[in-house]
Amino acid sequence: MARFEVSQAIEETASPPAAVAQPRAALTRSLIGGLVTSLPVLVVGLLILNFAPTYYTYLALGAFVNLIVVVGLQVFMGNSNIANLGHSAFVGLGAYGVAILSTPLAMKKLSIPNAPFGFATLQLDPVSSALIALIMVGIVAAVSGKVISRLSGVAATIVSLALLIIVHSVFLNWTNLFKGNQAFFGIPKVVGLPWMMVFSVVVIVLARLFKDSRWGLQLRASAQSPQAAAALGIDARRLRLMSWVLSALICGLAGVLYAYFAGTISPKLFYFQMIFNTLAMLILGGMATVTGAVTGVIVLSVGLEFIRSIESGVTIAGIQLPQLLGLSGVALGVVIVLCMAFRPSGISGRYELDELLSRLFRRNAK
Amino acid sequence: MLSVDNLVVRYGAVSAVRDLSLKVGRGELVALLGPNGAGKSSTINALTGLVTPASGRIVLDGQDISRVRTEDRIRAGLTSTPEGRHIFANLTVGENLRLGAAIRRDPKGVRQDIERFLALFPVLSERYGQAAGTLSGGEQQMLAIARSLMSRPKLLLLDEPSLGLAPKIVVQIFDFIGELKAEGLTLLVVEQNARQALRFADRVYVVSAGTLRHSGPPSSLADEHGLFNLYIGG
Repeated sequence: MARFEVSQAIEETASPPAAVAQPRAALTRSLIGGLVTSLPVLVVGLLILNFAPTYYTYLALGAFVNLIVVVGLQVFMGNSNIANLGHSAFVGLGAYGVAILSTPLAMKKLSIPNAPFGFATLQLDPVSSALIALIMVGIVAAVSGKVISRLSGVAATIVSLALLIIVHSVFLNWTNLFKGNQAFFGIPKVVGLPWMMVFSVVVIVLARLFKDSRWGLQLRASAQSPQAAAALGIDARRLRLMSWVLSALICGLAGVLYAYFAGTISPKLFYFQMIFNTLAMLILGGMATVTGAVTGVIVLSVGLEFIRSIESGVTIAGIQLPQLLGLSGVALGVVIVLCMAFRPSGISGRYELDELLSRLFRRNAK
Repeated sequence: MLSVDNLVVRYGAVSAVRDLSLKVGRGELVALLGPNGAGKSSTINALTGLVTPASGRIVLDGQDISRVRTEDRIRAGLTSTPEGRHIFANLTVGENLRLGAAIRRDPKGVRQDIERFLALFPVLSERYGQAAGTLSGGEQQMLAIARSLMSRPKLLLLDEPSLGLAPKIVVQIFDFIGELKAEGLTLLVVEQNARQALRFADRVYVVSAGTLRHSGPPSSLADEHGLFNLYIGG
């Protein structure tokens, strides 16, 4: 995936020579870059907030959750270049965390009356529940990250997959706490589109700051050439662990927000379907950049919604098309295959939105 | 400055380096020569901490660093440029240089050093914001050496700087290595290309099959013509 594209690189115009960045200037640039990248998200969100019917608002909320998950996924995958197939476990842990902590007692009597550790009689406010849930996610991430960061490549990916299966089995079988296969309902619905937009922007900026930080740069370098990075004294394990935990926390936040807007969750939401959806989004958009994560979510969310409308059978020019159930699943697979075959670096390639814009302006100015 | 005593490096049952001892004095350029698979790179990797030696002592400036992490060896002043350059092709020239200073915590000094290298190598300055993979082989080797120098080493280990480069470029690279020596840097250069390595070398070690076969001034190699041919091949 880290294939070097010579043609693309040769096209570039050289930056002004000897423009050695001042540290503070670099920080500001990366901050502004993050904000520029989140601009399209804000525009889409505001449009939906003000003009769209309720049904679309609901869809948009789901898309925003996916956005946060995909950005979280990018933090680990994009910088370490290791495929992660376990991130929705953290989304699930975040969601179940707040479900167990913040659901009103009356509801708990119905759903988890026999919860251990006194959770059946405990009800916290949404904010403290979210914080505690995220701390739990952080702990699970730190422990699993200890294992993952020692591995690289396929081995790490397999461990991430194992983590997904373990967490899913716990959700399914620890029925006293997680209610098993049944839906966990009654979670306070305290998050709407505005909050979702705020957190999306925060997460996008955070991901960009990490990518441009010395840790992000060192991690990207060690992914490209482990040997050279080691010879320069770069501790790849520590950096992988760091990005794994940050990635997990962002995914956990997505789960918290999902639970707080949907009010009802179940284990299957946080399983393979979510992994494939979000992975396809990241690959399509381009995993090397935060811009890629955002692009992939926007393109594939709109695309999948369009396909879903065809799926149920539509009438075009008087011809009734048959029902094409499962079309969206096929489309997802096709997107991944085509993308890997023809544009492995995704839609946005190697550059962030702000970098592309500044390149464009510079070229026009000449 | 550096002294290695009875170094042994093993990969499983295979010994790559057997009982190797060598010394590098301050300001010296020492060449470590030998054919492919002689254990030269294993020696370098043991010196930088990328592999743990089975036994033996590595002492830098009186401090035993045999079991110290790579990071701390770099802090102590020992940096290496790995074989085959291994520049970060997708990252810019500037980012490559910054990464060379990964262990440093003085942003101002790092910036000054980057500016110094850009002044020294106009090519790197022209391509500062460009992906390092667009550089030619020789330019990449220059970048790799400059990147290592970003950690401000006292002793630089160069692993096969001539690898895969055209003869004309190799001469340029060694001219630069000679300049580094003239500036007072201590160097240990591992090479197969004996002729170039001997241009600036103060002393030479020849290894083969993991053991030291010869040591002495460069002229001693030229005298014992048989040895030269046997281990270096012309």
